[in-house]
Amino acid sequence: MERRSLRKKELVLQGNEACAKGAIYAGCRFFAGYPITPSTEIIEMMSAEMQKSGGAFIQMEDEIGSACAIIGARWGGKKAMTATSGPGYTLMQEAIGFAAVTETPIVIVNVQRGGPSTGQPTLSSQQDIYQARYGSHGDYEIIVLTPSSVQEMFDFTVRAFELAEQFRTPVIVLADEVVGHMREKIAVEGGSKIIESVKHQYVVSPQADFFQGKNTMVEGQLHDEQGRRIGHLAKRSGEFINDINRKISDNTDIIASIDTYFMEDADVAIVAYGSVARPSLNAVKLARGVKDGRIASKLRIVKDLFRKGVQETLHTDYSHLKVGLVKINTVWPFPEKLLKEAAKNADIIIVPEMNVGKYFREIERVFKDKAVISMPKCGGDIHTPKEILDKILEEAGINE
Amino acid sequence: MRINIRFAGAGGQGVILASVLLAKGYGLGENYNISQTQSYGPEARGGACKAEVVISDETIDYMKVDTADVFVAMNQIGFNKYIDTVKKDAVILVNSTLVDEDTNGCYAIPATQIAEDMGKPFTVNMVMLGALTKLLPKIHFDTVEDEIRKVFAANVADSNIEAYRRGYDSIAEALADERKMA
Repeated sequence: MERRSLRKKELVLQGNEACAKGAIYAGCRFFAGYPITPSTEIIEMMSAEMQKSGGAFIQMEDEIGSACAIIGARWGGKKAMTATSGPGYTLMQEAIGFAAVTETPIVIVNVQRGGPSTGQPTLSSQQDIYQARYGSHGDYEIIVLTPSSVQEMFDFTVRAFELAEQFRTPVIVLADEVVGHMREKIAVEGGSKIIESVKHQYVVSPQADFFQGKNTMVEGQLHDEQGRRIGHLAKRSGEFINDINRKISDNTDIIASIDTYFMEDADVAIVAYGSVARPSLNAVKLARGVKDGRIASKLRIVKDLFRKGVQETLHTDYSHLKVGLVKINTVWPFPEKLLKEAAKNADIIIVPEMNVGKYFREIERVFKDKAVISMPKCGGDIHTPKEILDKILEEAGINE
Repeated sequence: MRINIRFAGAGGQGVILASVLLAKGYGLGENYNISQTQSYGPEARGGACKAEVVISDETIDYMKVDTADVFVAMNQIGFNKYIDTVKKDAVILVNSTLVDEDTNGCYAIPATQIAEDMGKPFTVNMVMLGALTKLLPKIHFDTVEDEIRKVFAANVADSNIEAYRRGYDSIAEALADERKMA
């Protein structure tokens, strides 16, 4: 799951810090936010880094203000981001709809905590998976990325800025407490990546930033290419809705991204996203009989420790059990084509999620001929590899 | 190779910082893959606090610790809470000023006492980190010291490094005595 390149600088960072670094690298020069656990480190880092990189940081009065401020900043010509968690993300929903209808490229990071309401500030969840898709009112498509490592917190934030500009749409980085607070070694590039804001044929709304000598009208009501209201015209409004939805749904092939592990011959597929993909991969490896290696050493104490450090081996050999993992990087738009292709030979699909079992419904919808099994977990803890392995064995009809 | 390390203690003891510095030492200084996670309550201080570090020469899939190879307990509550989730024959290091029940077979260091004797009670985590650095394989005094120096402002770095050194030396002596006895 880690992508490394030797020419890059290696750092040990928290997921949230990597997200902030990714934003700066992608050219983000405006950040507005209101601190909330478990996303606060993003705001903390941005407050310092925006000054250094010649951008602007505002701590807003609340999350409504934060989301609105970044929309304004983007029309003012700056790439802009905000970051929040559960309750703050709920407050941002109106602005997300406004950004979708005005076709404003912004990036919103939601480091998920458990909910509803204030919920569990310091613990993890993936409960906002549907809110990320359907949170604002009306019909709109949205792009949502789910990082599962610190490296991906950096990479996916950069990708979010690219996709936002390419499709002129809000893009959500849907992280969770585990990946936000975890520290790992990552490789980052210095400097800035140039993400061009070009004019797109498939975008309906005005696209020229303010202060460019053009008359730009930003309108929340359905509108034409000059920003004039068309909400009272049924036919044109219908076309408008089709256009802003299809610019994303018709380009799912460009946007969608999955990673597959051991899927070539898999009868049982785990489908996971975000941090849960990590114990899932570990469970798949345990099932496949892939064991950690050892390092020999001279000192007695080292030897002892390293002997003890070898992972417990399983008593039963499951190497005949063909299990694989599909890790979903872009949960929305739903990567139906990629997923169908990746899991076409599997008979059983298990979907572990840190919620009551939500995304599983989407997967069930496209695999009517397979047994799709939900593996929900609520309470704030991530699934353990043992739990997922037990589920695999149970569904495969193997008793230990 | 994978080593699961768990730290437990109270919020305010520097449990998380100690784990981060160890992770950086292994990750940057010794070039291992590392994954550091933590969990804590909403309280700023006094609540239960746990931190975990996974060290591996391979890609780390599962970033958390279920059963620990190394367990570091900074107070009795943390010790009691997690002692049942360590592997058989795990290396256990306790802050013996605050952990004194059921510690047979553990490495013990009076970390709070050492920090208080220095007049720097906040450096208890550095004493523990020093002791741990001595106990653990494939990590060097200097690599962790470098990370300590990077994280603290210059005016407090020296006292933290002094605490780290005292922890390191204290366990080094204990290990030497153990070897003599054997």
